[in-house]
Amino acid sequence: MGYSTEKETAIVGQNRTLLFLLIFIMFSFIVTGIAADGAGKAFTGFLDLQFSPARLISDFMSTSSIGASFINAAAVGAIGLILILISKVQLSGSTFAAIFTMMGFALFGKTPVNIIPIIIGVYISGRLVGRSFSEYIIIALFGTALGPLVSLITCELGLSGLSAIAVGTAAGIATGFLLPAIAVSMLHFHQGYNLYNLGLSCGFFALFAAALMRAGGHTFDTLMLWHTEESLILTLLVPVLSLFLILTGLLSGGRKSLKDLMAIQKHSGRLPSDFMDMESMEGALLNAGLIGLAGSLYILLIGGDLNGPTIGGLLTIMGFGAFGTHLRNSWPVVLGVIIATLIFGKSLTAPGTILAAIFCTTLAPLAGAFGILTGLTAGFIHLILVHQTGAWQGGMNLYNNGFAGGLTAAFIVSVIAWYRSRNSDFK
Amino acid sequence: MKRKELILHLIGELSNYLLESNPKRLVISLHQEEDGLHLSVLDDNPHSDEEIENVDHALNSPKRPELAGYYGAMTGHDMLGASRLNLLGWQVKHCDVSRTRNGIKFDIWLGGDRFESDQFTIPKKDKE
Repeated sequence: MGYSTEKETAIVGQNRTLLFLLIFIMFSFIVTGIAADGAGKAFTGFLDLQFSPARLISDFMSTSSIGASFINAAAVGAIGLILILISKVQLSGSTFAAIFTMMGFALFGKTPVNIIPIIIGVYISGRLVGRSFSEYIIIALFGTALGPLVSLITCELGLSGLSAIAVGTAAGIATGFLLPAIAVSMLHFHQGYNLYNLGLSCGFFALFAAALMRAGGHTFDTLMLWHTEESLILTLLVPVLSLFLILTGLLSGGRKSLKDLMAIQKHSGRLPSDFMDMESMEGALLNAGLIGLAGSLYILLIGGDLNGPTIGGLLTIMGFGAFGTHLRNSWPVVLGVIIATLIFGKSLTAPGTILAAIFCTTLAPLAGAFGILTGLTAGFIHLILVHQTGAWQGGMNLYNNGFAGGLTAAFIVSVIAWYRSRNSDFK
Repeated sequence: MKRKELILHLIGELSNYLLESNPKRLVISLHQEEDGLHLSVLDDNPHSDEEIENVDHALNSPKRPELAGYYGAMTGHDMLGASRLNLLGWQVKHCDVSRTRNGIKFDIWLGGDRFESDQFTIPKKDKE
């Protein structure tokens, strides 16, 4: 027994479809960026972004322009895709999530210049312990959350010229080198119930990095660059992309894609839940599209801003629509965040809160595995925690919600595990 | 992951799965060679055809080095008691799941690139 030739053929077909899909999306981002600002401004702005501060919250649409942000997102996504292809890794839920996350966060923090050193560091780390890059590629792609650390050293510490680039690059390589060790350990901490698990790892590392910098006399100024101007492009981007994914899923899979979509809702979403593997690519694309539409609707209903961070968040949750998140396991956690927001008198449209509502879906597996009440509790705790954790690590970890989520998941999992250990069978 | 650690994870995950149905007997057999190993785990509980098919599907999923290299570290470390055989599937060379007279048997082969599971047998004694 074993998997069949039919399955192998399906995998090849899936790879091809996803490859064309991702290339088309990146190309669309470039075209949209040029349409928004004109080629000259968009590309000049893109180059300026490479040596700009990138810590939370640096909305690249505010730092530079909408067009530059989209070009940057396409470039970062392309780097991820090229690495996946070179490593001969299958395009599936995990890599789909990685590309979408990279592109999303390239609207407010990641740039080719600040992610490449980290990727190199992860590669070197793998070589040292005899692992191929394909075994560490997930860590490399998601570990780019610490790109702002490279930008901080290059742009904010008072260094200049080639020395700034050299020191920043070296720091990025060192960061990437240490990430695999931390990332593997952190999985045990939350047991796979935190989807943005590199967020916990990167946040953990950033705590030490921030402490070191503070010890050296550096003060982390609060950054709040948040684009608020309305734009038809920004309003339509995620809904159109979502509909595109839904259409692709339906046209490729027909009625079976709907059946697979329903089957996806039954999974807890605990890492690693590759919905393309567990059900089908078509079902996962449908799921991703629906999540994108749901997220867009939420922001529209509350009157929130559509900008780099929020669109980046929506792209991320869409990506994880193929790797852990679905509507059934997301809504309790989101509702928990909303309840906490209202109880503590915060605004639903404030930057931290709106991002918490989107990214709290990192804890969706808790709701998927343990039920609605656990999901509500997780969302509630998450909102309280995430407002504190950004400052702990100087805003250097882009996946701040993943960091807070990891701590929340570890807390809840510990309590559940302890409670389940009651009444030993042997007296 | 070192060989010993991987073996412990595999034994842990497979045993965890079978122990969920509280068998009276659970047998674990390990045979190691330089290039690979064969791990066999048996129990004495009845298992349905559907369960055997699902388990076989989980253990023979397409190899995913990008998932095995990272998420595979969770194998055998579940605090909440659930077993996840799909974490094993990416990390093993080949797996057979079969029904025995009383229960179920997992045969798992691991090895490097040189390893050929069909040549991996217990050597015959020389007859004089």
